[in-house]
Amino acid sequence: MDGTVAAAMPVIEVEALEKRYGEVHAVRGVSFSIPAGSCTGLLGPNGAGKTTIMRMIMALVQPTAGALRLFGKPPSALGRSMRERVGLVPQEDNLDPDLSVRQNLEVYGRYFGLPARTIAERVPRLLAFMQLAERGGAKVMQLSGGMKRRLTIARALIADPELIILDEPTTGLDPQARVLIWRRLLDLKREGKTLLLTTHYMDEAQRLSDRIIIIDGGRILDEGAPKDLIARHVRGHVVEVAKPLPRGFSEDGLERNDIGDAVLYYANDPAEVTRRLPADAAYLRREANLEDVFLRLTGHSLRQGE
Amino acid sequence: MSARASLPAVNRYSQAVWRRNALVWRRLIGPSLTTNVLDPLIFLFAFGYGLGAVIDRVGGMSYLAFVVPGMMCYAAMFAASFESTISTYARFSLQRTWDAILATPVSLTELMLGEMSWAATKGVFSASCVIVVGSLWGGVASPVGVLLALPALALGAICFACCGLAVTAQAKSWDIFAYFFTFWVTPMFMFSGTFFEVGRFPWFVQAIAWVLPMTHLIAVVRPLTAGVAVDPLAAAGHLLYVAALAAAAFSLARWRFGARLFG
Repeated sequence: MDGTVAAAMPVIEVEALEKRYGEVHAVRGVSFSIPAGSCTGLLGPNGAGKTTIMRMIMALVQPTAGALRLFGKPPSALGRSMRERVGLVPQEDNLDPDLSVRQNLEVYGRYFGLPARTIAERVPRLLAFMQLAERGGAKVMQLSGGMKRRLTIARALIADPELIILDEPTTGLDPQARVLIWRRLLDLKREGKTLLLTTHYMDEAQRLSDRIIIIDGGRILDEGAPKDLIARHVRGHVVEVAKPLPRGFSEDGLERNDIGDAVLYYANDPAEVTRRLPADAAYLRREANLEDVFLRLTGHSLRQGE
Repeated sequence: MSARASLPAVNRYSQAVWRRNALVWRRLIGPSLTTNVLDPLIFLFAFGYGLGAVIDRVGGMSYLAFVVPGMMCYAAMFAASFESTISTYARFSLQRTWDAILATPVSLTELMLGEMSWAATKGVFSASCVIVVGSLWGGVASPVGVLLALPALALGAICFACCGLAVTAQAKSWDIFAYFFTFWVTPMFMFSGTFFEVGRFPWFVQAIAWVLPMTHLIAVVRPLTAGVAVDPLAAAGHLLYVAALAAAAFSLARWRFGARLFG
């Protein structure tokens, strides 16, 4: 009985959630709901309020106003049982530097009150899943950035959570390391886990998320499937023309966005723009992506402030 | 869920924190054992030949019998205080170990209980090393008394750990711990009766001394190990003071950490 109710119920429901730190209004009335078994990406630049939202969901920060429900109940009412069902991958590295890779998982399992037998059975499986099997005895300090992240994800999986919250899971990693993590996160989604991740990489959001929530300045600007967001806000193609613009080039009737050293033109058919350009003009043509959506919605780039 | 039903669970989660610290410490058991045994040996040697030659009898007992229980209490105090301040602050702030733990079912109170009980364990371990060394040196007159003194030492270690946590809860940087050692640890070392009788100091030093939990702990432990008659009522009063201070310090620490972490 409980199972059917849980399946129909959103895992996270957030209504008019607000957080103020003194003068700073970090989150200004955010509402969304996350269905079970989906991957939702919170996309926004640094300081958009993503981490604060996640910390409120984990009951690590008290909201100033608004309602929050996890598995259908306020986190305060769930208490310990809520923590047992959620795995958190925080943004900053807080692996235990005094312990080995394997011990990090074993000790973490005990924090969840797991029996020794369950821990002994899960640890090698998680190490293998995150491709750390050969590094079990290594010290955390000997690991590369990508391995540390993988260990942090393995650690979050120790209690077999229904919901996994990842705060910028691949920030600062090299491309190979990111691809490996993406593959594992997609595996988890396939297993039916619910994923909520924050990112300021649009490729990451696009690749992993069924649905994206774009936030900036503590507010939701829009949400939807990546494809729908692109269709809604930008035309299919982007032609980027470097400044200074070629002489005699007419922008009349084109959708444009000035990004400083270049101008972006949005068009369903790139030829609409390119045929107006002189033959020797330098330009870049590509398909529109979430970065363009973000730019259209906020007027600034995702990477600002980095 | 009733409070009774949740009590074993509480123990399990704070035990997980205790075990984490024990696991890390296990690698350091060699150096730790060496220093914990060598420290009292050096003290005993120096004081035995230095002060012991000058002072014949103190408070109706040999100076050796007087100083060994003082050193037991000092060892418990120093180890528990250091672990609950410098070491705990490193896990709280520098290593972010606390952040990682608080994302699990372990509650803040359980985390603090785990840290506190670990710091107290280290205190009891250090005191036990002094007991062994002091007994072999001939500074423990009553073997039964020293066994009875162990629970008192444990309570003292708990109190020192709670007081340390209360200071750590205020710490914004490492600076505060310099004051903690100057105004808390050192006075307990010098004025609580470790090496000299409290009664020898002027009245205002005595007044301060009796605020410090160490003075009360030594007042209980010393007659026990020396095999001197103990006034049960006075001993109960001393232990009650130590327990009350522990509870107050832990509550203060819980309140301050709660405000800092979840504010």
